[in-house]
Amino acid sequence: MSGSFTARCEVAVVGYAHSVIQRNAPRTLGAIALETALSAIADAGLTREQIDGFTTGSLLPSAGGHASVDGVSIVTSNWLAEKLGLNPRFAAGFQGFGQLAGGVMLAVNAVATGAADYVVFHRALHNPRGVRYHVNPMTEARGSSQWTAPQGYFGPLAMIGLPYNEYLQRYGASREAMAEVLVEARANGARIPWSYWHNQPITAQDYLDARVIVDPICMLDCDIPVDGVAAFVLTRADRARDLPNKPVYVAGYAQGSVRRPRLPVHWPLDDIMEAGFDVARRLEDSSGLSLQNVDLPQLYDGFSPFIYFWLESLGFCKVGEAHEFVQDGGIRTEGGLPVLSGGGALGNGRMHGVPQMLECYLQLSGRAGERQISSATLGLACHSSPHYGGAVLYSSEPL
Amino acid sequence: MSDLVRQPIPVPDEQSAAFWSAAADHVLALARCTHCGTRVHPAGVVCAQCLHPEPSFEFTPVDGRGTVRSWVVIRDSFLPGFRDEVPFVLVDVELDVQSDLRMIGRLLDGPDAALSQGDRVVTVFEDIAPGVAVPGFALEART
Ligand SMILES: [Zn+2]
Repeated sequence: MSGSFTARCEVAVVGYAHSVIQRNAPRTLGAIALETALSAIADAGLTREQIDGFTTGSLLPSAGGHASVDGVSIVTSNWLAEKLGLNPRFAAGFQGFGQLAGGVMLAVNAVATGAADYVVFHRALHNPRGVRYHVNPMTEARGSSQWTAPQGYFGPLAMIGLPYNEYLQRYGASREAMAEVLVEARANGARIPWSYWHNQPITAQDYLDARVIVDPICMLDCDIPVDGVAAFVLTRADRARDLPNKPVYVAGYAQGSVRRPRLPVHWPLDDIMEAGFDVARRLEDSSGLSLQNVDLPQLYDGFSPFIYFWLESLGFCKVGEAHEFVQDGGIRTEGGLPVLSGGGALGNGRMHGVPQMLECYLQLSGRAGERQISSATLGLACHSSPHYGGAVLYSSEPL
Repeated sequence: MSDLVRQPIPVPDEQSAAFWSAAADHVLALARCTHCGTRVHPAGVVCAQCLHPEPSFEFTPVDGRGTVRSWVVIRDSFLPGFRDEVPFVLVDVELDVQSDLRMIGRLLDGPDAALSQGDRVVTVFEDIAPGVAVPGFALEART
């Protein structure tokens, strides 16, 4: 069975826009999304009327059990198209986690098949007001939560804490090693003007002193909830060559999935890794490229342990050795693999996989300014856990 | 209304009623596919093992012993009903009854219990309301 991606490098990213990232924006998310989408369209050298496709993945936040309101706490493709006064041929939303890779896949498929010529892919993220992000005052546990909430097992910190501790215990990793991840993410985020953490790098000691919430997960292992929007424009490679920016080509993509029934939000380490190996193999099959040629692997870091899981499952270091790899300077932008050169979610705020995708786009189109890594040619943008997410390969040249 | 928030009470449904009624009697009864015998927790609407078109499950008692695969210490709970309970330990346990069948529960030995991967635990029950008990774990006595 061939996993070859027949549209390899036939679809390109041709423009983008990113809002400022704020803890609580003074405008509604919809207003920010509208402005950001219009900016992205202009950046791509297009007019609003030329856009005939919209994709996103709008899932989350679910903070405080609050109800999602389109245009306020989430922004769907259809909402955005309608408010832009357009009647697109194609509008779709990715249903699951891994919203970044998922939404890009929908956009790529739409362009490659001719379902749309110019697609706006956007991601809008909201930090609900007046609630602590994950707090849920439930007194009755119904449906899937009946299996975990009565035991006090609830929320994403416990979810990631279990596989992280499984990793720490199995491989004897230390908190000092993870400090390297945080220092790197925040050092790079500090250089990004729109980042929530602009000009706010941290030290290893800051990390080690951070409050532990769900041991072994501390405050700084988690990205901070924010309001922010990013939008990208994708079109066919032949059309892209007539547009003002250097196109960045989509060379392949892959998803991972959950193979066996588990309790809700129960993520055993081996489930994550097994799916990660699938993602790695699928990326190579789809693109015909070796992941060893990726010189800009932007790994997902919404919770810091994901950096270890992605590093190992994609083969950038051996299984069980990511903590040593990181501690030996392996992910430093200077001299190592630029895994977090875009700051990631830890260095920007909870923009899900936007920083990873944006860094691939900016570096490979030569638009990263003073942060430009001149040698980068092949980027990988990962999002979520390997077993709920995916990754997209980007190339600076059509292969 | 009092501002006392209690810990979440499980609300049984068609798929879970037998599990919770056994738990009330401090018996761990896990779903088992009547066609192929595979245990699944939580009980689903289909059997992912045999894909039988007419799924049917029975809840039969199992040995609640198992092995600790991981754990976390909850120091700040996102469920307000657990605020007075912190810190507490949650263990991720592989039950002996079937390979890779995992269950998560509170470790009732307290937050300072020394833990290692591979530690042996037994299922124990906490009565949290009249007629409602929730399974957790306790370290098996080490000899
Ligand atoms: Zn079966």
